[in-house]
This record gives sequence, structure tokens and C-alpha cells, in this order.
Amino acid sequence: MSALRRLNHLKTIFNPVKRHFSAVKQGSKYSRSFRQYLQLPNGEIGSYFHDIPLELNHLNRTVNMVVEIPRFSNGKFEISKEIPFNPISQDVKKGKVRFVNNIFPFRGYIHNYGAIPQTWEDPTSSHQVDRKHSLKGDNDPLDCCEIGSKVFAMGDIKTVKILGSLALIDDGELDWKVIVINVEDPLASRVNTLQDVDIHFPGILGATKAWFRDYKIPAGKPSNKFAFDGQYKGVSDTIKIIESCHESWTNLVSGNVETNGVILPQIKKAGQGVFMDDNLEPDSPIPSEVDKWFYIKK
Amino acid sequence: MVYSTRQVGAKNTLDYKVYIEEDGKPVSPFHDIPLYADKENNIFNMVVEIPRWTNAKLEITKEQPLNPIIQDTKKGKLRFVRNCFPHHGYIHNYGAFPQTWEDPNETHPETKAVGDNDPIDVLEIGESIAYTGQVKQVKVLGVMALLDEGETDWKVIAIDVNDPLAPKMNDIEDVEKYFPGLLRATNEWFRIYKIPDGKPENQFAFSGEAKNKKYALDIIRETNDAWKQLIAGKAVDSKGIALANSTLKDTPTYSAAIASEIPEASPKADAPIDKSIDKWFFISGSA
Repeated sequence: MSALRRLNHLKTIFNPVKRHFSAVKQGSKYSRSFRQYLQLPNGEIGSYFHDIPLELNHLNRTVNMVVEIPRFSNGKFEISKEIPFNPISQDVKKGKVRFVNNIFPFRGYIHNYGAIPQTWEDPTSSHQVDRKHSLKGDNDPLDCCEIGSKVFAMGDIKTVKILGSLALIDDGELDWKVIVINVEDPLASRVNTLQDVDIHFPGILGATKAWFRDYKIPAGKPSNKFAFDGQYKGVSDTIKIIESCHESWTNLVSGNVETNGVILPQIKKAGQGVFMDDNLEPDSPIPSEVDKWFYIKK
Repeated sequence: MVYSTRQVGAKNTLDYKVYIEEDGKPVSPFHDIPLYADKENNIFNMVVEIPRWTNAKLEITKEQPLNPIIQDTKKGKLRFVRNCFPHHGYIHNYGAFPQTWEDPNETHPETKAVGDNDPIDVLEIGESIAYTGQVKQVKVLGVMALLDEGETDWKVIAIDVNDPLAPKMNDIEDVEKYFPGLLRATNEWFRIYKIPDGKPENQFAFSGEAKNKKYALDIIRETNDAWKQLIAGKAVDSKGIALANSTLKDTPTYSAAIASEIPEASPKADAPIDKSIDKWFFISGSA
């Protein structure tokens, strides 16, 4: 073990918030070179997608979340499907790193946005979602939106309480957004349902819907639609969705999936003795057009 | 005129000061920078205090020579505005017009309230994020009359002349046309921004309506006249405002030496902002 790795190892041991996981960062943030890998307690590289346990707890209605994008920021960071060990990297469109536009009155993402590990929205076949829609999944882990008072950091792993979900249809694919709150948030004990969200966070559910409906309009795309007529699903339905996506994930990692022409995510996970060192370079500048506010005419 | 900034200390600390320099020489952003950049075309100089989407309450100080921009304090602690959902920090590039003063000795005939003793505030709505101490040339579009804790606190709405939309922006109705929802959000923002600190909701005069460009130009002229009295030493009560300046030779507080008494630049890396400032406050019934 190198001295640096030993130090990182010690850091993880004394940092219970990160649940003994840490990260290895490489390249320059806001450029195509950036990668943030999950590092296990033994120093080995793992996958944010596959190596963090789901830990779905029916009694407490909690699950694990990996933070990809801190609230109020614009960089479209996500768990990579293409790169082995699924590091967090910035999405690329037309050769450029992608930033979401600011949709007035919002600034960047309005939640701590991330993914539920060990889940997968199966893109290989469509299924009847509601009366009107038969859809395929978006080939990603389930997305989640954390509404607590803190701004989290990329790669944070949090235990979150499940509150509900919204069935976004993004570019024709089903893309559930699970609404959650950090169990350590001061309000978490009082927020158990969507009704509680309305009481303690008035306006956030409507804003969440408006945000996902409009966020691609500045890029020239139409507004997004929702299944279930845009109605949120409650906690028990959401738990079923998580279970179903966990089952899809189990099939994915066991190689038990007919691809039907879809490029499946990388399923390489820890246990192969791969080690890497930090090699972080200074941040690349964020383009000034990311500062712009877009006003959508209603 | 080429303006630049001279930073002393680290942002988010009590030591932080931003002086404005004109061709390298310290000047007062309250007194020395001319209000009009181009009087004939109604182009004004604006001094930016607070960049959009930030929380630190930075302002031109009335207490120190040459009026650097410093962070306001409350009970000895640095002041940050709270995030009121759905907003994040200030929603405009926020600043002031030089050579203006909202006279606290005068009750405004229409708002029925005295001035707040500050230069007049400006909300710049262009797409770029400005920086503290930036001197921008702006077009005036209208004005709102906030009654902040009982004082008149005009908020001039303006746009940077270099903004891509500036050629199309000529009066208050253009704001709703090209920035739909912004006036309503501005109204809401100033009404509720002190509620998380335990203060009551602020009120606006004129039922919250934004007055047009002509009205705004009149108000700016009035506050410019009040400042002229102030700098001439003729105000009823100048409230201890630091009036030293380094360019206005006809004024009693002109000082040729003052510029050399200003500390040299000593910029330091930003200090971290307390994590509690990230919190979003949900004010029921505000939206």
C-alpha cells in the first residue's frame, strides 16, 4: 500500500459519514478528463452503480443514495455506464461537457440529485406503465432528488427516506425521479409522506415537476411529459418501483439480460484487486453561458 | 474612464474591503464616480456590490474613507441573506448608483417614508454574473419602492448596456416581455427576504407596482440632488457619512492626500462560507 493510499484508507476509517467508502479523483473537473471512482475500505476501486448496497429498509422506508450533482450547481455529472467501474463523470453532448441551463426562477439543480445504487431502469423491453404509456427504461440507475437543507458533495453516500416518485418521460424513455430526504436532516423525522413534503417544503413538488418538464427547452427540445398524468406516486408504490428496478439490476449483473440491441452498462465491480491513485488536476473554467438565466414563456 | 478594484483581505471575512480605483488611483464609489456615463442617452454608472446568486451582504460603506465595499455585519457577525425558496441568494446583480443619496431627513411625498440613508439601489437583470466592485454602464428601465423597516428604499431596475437584450429593453413593460416573471419574483424576494431572520414581511409602495422609466429617472435625479447637498456640506444632517473624495476639487471634503492613505492591495483566497447558508427557507404562502 502506498503512503497516499494508506492515508486515504485511514481517512475512510475515521469518516463514518462516508460509510467507509471514499473516492479516487482524476483529471480536471468540468472537462472530459474528470473521473471520480468509488474506493472501498481496503483501497480497492469499486463501482458506484454495483458495489454500494441498496439497503432498502421496508420498516424505516429508507434506501441508499449516491450524490451525483449538488443542489444549485449545473454540471451534469453522472455515474458512467460506459467506463469500467462506473466512475462519476460529466455527461458529454456533441463533444462538450454538459451543463444544465438555469430555468428561471431556479438556479442549476434544485435538489441534491443522484442515483439509487443497485437499481436499473431496464431499456431492453417496454412495459405498460399506465393506461396511456408503454415505455422502456432509460438504462440508468433510478434517479433520486434529495430535498433536505444541506448541500451535499459529489460522491456522498447517504441513507435517505423514501417519500414518493414522479414518472418522467424523458426523450421517450421512462425515467423515475424518486423524492427523498436525508435521514439526518432536522426535518426528516417529521416528513414521511408527500403530504408532509407539502407542509414542510411548500412549493417543492410543483417546482420539481416544472423543473423536469422544462429543463431541456433551452437546448431546443420540447417540454418533457409525465406518465400517470403527472401525479406523484406515494411511498408504497415507490418502494415497489425500487424493488422492481433492483430486480432488473440483479438480472443485469448476472448477465441474464437479452440486450435487444441496447448497449448495456459496464458491470465490472470490486473484487478484482484494481487500485488507482488520486490524480486530480485544477478545475477547468465553467463557460460563462452557464450563468445565463432562461425565461420560459408560459 | 477605466475602473478597477483593489482588494484587501479575504472575501467572507471582517477584513475584506474592495476599493475602486480610477486609472490606478483610489476613488470613492459613493462620491467620485460620476452618476452619468452618458447623460444625453441616460446611460448610468452602476457600482456592483453583490453578484447574482450569492448571499454575502456586501455594500458601499458609509463609515470608512473612500467608502470601500465591505460585508455588512449584525451583532459582530458577517451578514448573509438567507435563501428563500425558490430563490438562491440575490436574484439580480445588486448594487448602487454613485453620487446619489436617499436622504433620511426627507419624507418622500408619495411613499410617505424617509430615505434609508444609502445611495440608491440598483437591480441589474442582464445575463452575465457581475463581480463585486465592477462599474457597469446600465440603462434604466423602471423602479420599485420598497418600504424596508419603514424607510423608503428605491430599487431601480436596470440592464447592462452590453447585454444582448439591451437594445430591445427601453422601459418597464419590456422587462415582463423579455424576462417574464422577474418583476413578480423581485417583488416576492424583497417582501420575504428578512422573514428567516425573524423580521416581518416588507411592504412595497404603489401596491408593489413597478414604476416606469420616466418615473425612475425623476427619482434618480432627486437622489442625485440630495447627494449634491450632502457633498456640499449642506445636508440637514449628514449622519456621519464619510464624505472624503479624491477628485471633486470644489467640495469641502476633497482630499488630494486621501488616495495615498488607502491600504495597498492584499487579496487573499476566499474564506469558506458557513454551511448553514446553503439552507433553503420555505416561506408558506409566499409564492
